[in-house]
Amino acid sequence: MRRRLLLLAPIAVAAWLLPYGLGGYTMHVVDVAVIFAVLAIGLGLTMGVAGQINLAQVAFFGIGAYTVAILTSRTGLGFWPAAVLAILASIAAGLLVGIPALRMQSHYLGIVTLGLALGFINWVTNAGIAGRAEGISDIPVPPLFGIDLSSGYLYYYLELAVFALVLVFALFVTRSPLGRRLRAMRDDDLAAGALGAEIPLLRMTAFVLSGLYGGVAGVLYAGLIRFVAPETFNIGNMFLLLAMVIIGGRASIVGCVIGALGLAFVREALLDVSAFAQLGYGIVVVLVVVFFPKGLAGLPAQVFRRKTGERPRLSPFVPYDEVPPADARSVLEIDQVTKRFKGLVALQDVSLSVPARQIRGIVGPNGSGKTTLFNVISGFYTATAGRVRLDGASVGGLAPYRLSLKGVARTFQNLRLFEDLTVRDNILVALDRTRTSWIWRYLALPWAVSRYERSLRGRADEVLHRFGLTEFADAIPRSLPYGIQRRVEIARAMASLPSLLLLDEPAAGLNGDEVGRLAEIVRSIRDSGVTVVVIEHNMGLVMSLCDHVTVLSGGRVIADGPPDEVAVDPRVVEAYLGDSMAAPTEREAEHEHADR
Amino acid sequence: MRLTIVAVVLAALTACAPPGENSGSSGEATGPIKIANVNAQSGQLSSLGKWENKGVKLAVDEANKAGGVNGRQLQLDLFDDQGDPTVGTNLARKISSDGYVAMLGTAESAVTLAMAPILKDAKIPNITSGQSPKLAELKSPFLFLNAPTSVTFDETLAKYLVDEKGYQKIALISNNGAYGSGEHDAFSKSLKARNVTPVADEVVTPEQKDFNSNLAKIRQQNPDVLFIGAEEVQSGLIAKQARELGLKAIFAGGAPMGTDVYATTAGLANAEGSVVSSPYLSNEASPAIKEFAAKYKAAYGEDARLHVAKAYDGASILIEALKKTGGKGGQELADAIRGVKRDGLLGQYNYDEFGVGIHETKIGLIKQGQAVPATAS
Repeated sequence: MRRRLLLLAPIAVAAWLLPYGLGGYTMHVVDVAVIFAVLAIGLGLTMGVAGQINLAQVAFFGIGAYTVAILTSRTGLGFWPAAVLAILASIAAGLLVGIPALRMQSHYLGIVTLGLALGFINWVTNAGIAGRAEGISDIPVPPLFGIDLSSGYLYYYLELAVFALVLVFALFVTRSPLGRRLRAMRDDDLAAGALGAEIPLLRMTAFVLSGLYGGVAGVLYAGLIRFVAPETFNIGNMFLLLAMVIIGGRASIVGCVIGALGLAFVREALLDVSAFAQLGYGIVVVLVVVFFPKGLAGLPAQVFRRKTGERPRLSPFVPYDEVPPADARSVLEIDQVTKRFKGLVALQDVSLSVPARQIRGIVGPNGSGKTTLFNVISGFYTATAGRVRLDGASVGGLAPYRLSLKGVARTFQNLRLFEDLTVRDNILVALDRTRTSWIWRYLALPWAVSRYERSLRGRADEVLHRFGLTEFADAIPRSLPYGIQRRVEIARAMASLPSLLLLDEPAAGLNGDEVGRLAEIVRSIRDSGVTVVVIEHNMGLVMSLCDHVTVLSGGRVIADGPPDEVAVDPRVVEAYLGDSMAAPTEREAEHEHADR
Repeated sequence: MRLTIVAVVLAALTACAPPGENSGSSGEATGPIKIANVNAQSGQLSSLGKWENKGVKLAVDEANKAGGVNGRQLQLDLFDDQGDPTVGTNLARKISSDGYVAMLGTAESAVTLAMAPILKDAKIPNITSGQSPKLAELKSPFLFLNAPTSVTFDETLAKYLVDEKGYQKIALISNNGAYGSGEHDAFSKSLKARNVTPVADEVVTPEQKDFNSNLAKIRQQNPDVLFIGAEEVQSGLIAKQARELGLKAIFAGGAPMGTDVYATTAGLANAEGSVVSSPYLSNEASPAIKEFAAKYKAAYGEDARLHVAKAYDGASILIEALKKTGGKGGQELADAIRGVKRDGLLGQYNYDEFGVGIHETKIGLIKQGQAVPATAS
């Protein structure tokens, strides 16, 4: 950290000295470039970090600039009070644009935000109060303790201060628990929700940040140019902004800044052939997307591939401390749950009760409703009829993040790790148990956030150590063998300190050794006082691991009891008819191991 | 430790004088006198910008051939504003930091409006070809118009149509760009003062090419006069499509409709009889204009027109003022421009406190694609 600060020092000094070497016009170009850098940071946060396609950033920029212009010229308000109101207006616009994001994502969201941006331009070209096509030209010079801000040189220092502030805030947000949740949401919003991230509020937060940065940039623009007209906020400039973020590297805030500054100067150089400039940006964007998908920020990693030193190894699992059993209350109770999808009945009057510290197996042929049952318990689906109780309290219809905060954790049949987050970050997402309403602290008490982050990191190291993943902490899940990814997912689920753990086919794709280690881990989890419900096709594992087995077929419970009783139940045998009985059992796997 | 050194260095820097450059806008007393010409050379309105530049260049070249100002040559540099006000503000800063004494242009009111505050701060006089009433409203002591404002154009037009000819059923079609909306507002105001309510008031966008739905609505009202508030090509398209729809109304409008671009776009037959309000009706209107038109044709091989003439007038006024100040710029030059009384191609220049020099226009009718004074018919 200290070394980073030392690296920053020469950059800061260079930025400070820059105006001494520049002519008046170049200074102005730099001033404009800095404003675009602020905008690019905002777009990087929404699009790169939070994964929300936002083509309305230029409209937030316009709302900021126009609000200042209208308030100062029409109502005679001072520049700074108008600036505060302008930023608030942009944030309000961010909230408004964010509403569609609650319902739709990806290209649909892109079209909706683009439409709203066009609507804004249309309004300012036609509304008398916004000066129509001629714009508003008499914005006052912002007063600042007698400093003459009409000079591009002195304005630069104001911009530099604001820029440093918003850059540090953006870096702080990305590296904090909030930023991690935003990135987790970008990679997989379902999994993020299941780990306690409040998805609707997070999406709104992303758009609020976008509005905030757009508003700040708009105020700076109004103070610098002292004139606003619709052309500045048109779709061509939105594309330029998008190009800045993509060329720089959308997931990296510093990359966005480099992209913005770089392209702003390229634009200046192309001023004489401005008719073809758009074509030029288009070609550059295509080349970058094809050859450097992570933009300039991803270039160092692409050029200097990390030396493959020692191959990381999986360490053994460190068992949890055994907790003596308390009363045998029922942790999960499912009462007459039915789930219908239009005509299809996925679950029909399913009832089961899981006492504390039990490993409950759920088995059944494909399509028998096992995963649907998990989705109902973890809140992804709302049951059509019936009740789900957790520790005696009804939890039917609660959102996944609420259930996660109440102590339900799950894994997924087809692995849902956050692909672009490291293993450590995957664990950290689950460790963060705060509600999103906690985010006011990011503005008011940043040091409290830093302290919290440090404590999370300490606990993440513990979890990594326990699951033997320490050497993989900085790896990207995609690059890991399947068996290790499975273990990361269990570690991530356990990091949220659940009282009920739902494992959906945890042994799928594992070899004999790995199945054995999995059974060891699950038993230790049970002994630490967590109730485990596991869907599994590997009948050998089910027989040896589970205390109690429930068999589903065609959406109904057809058998329920200890494993050895259920295995000989004629209805079960009929339902299965040889299905997956041949998979390696834990005991066989041990034998194999001993033979070697 | 090192951090403290950095902090000390930074503290020392703040104590130094703030950066900046000496604004050399009034220029050195030797070498060429630098004049900037800012006009759209690319984009939709580039033809306007190119005409303006030719007119300005003609005047400057003449002055240079005649020995310049106080023995110093005039250096005319062209900048492309792309018709974008924000690019205009950038250029305004470039002009003020590069030591230009004056600026000629732009042909677009929106760009000039954006540049005006910066040029005013830098004390650089600007003679613009824009004619939006908002330019006059700024009351900047450094901004001068080389033509009347839309108010004058449209007041003259309304006077002719309503007071003289007695038309009452008047329909409006205008675009919502800077020029079109200025025309719309000015003409509506003139009508209102005469207690005439337009029978239709259609607003289109500057990019629009198909006006059939707007014109169909206007046709239902069967107006006597259709006022067109748009640039040359768009005015021509509107006139053409209106006739194709069977609209019989007389077309009326400002300076764009006096151009051959309007007449050829509309078709000579369709443009016939259009009423235009302009300070410069044709290249034949007076001996001075005839002489100018001949000079222009000799220099560029094309016919002169209003845009060329007013740019030439503006540049001539600037040169006359520079001769008075001996090449000096700033407040002195602005005052000198205000003092110039010139019998120009567009009429008698006599600047008021709004920076407007010409206060009347003439009414012309289009005959065979040429505007002829209305009284002659």
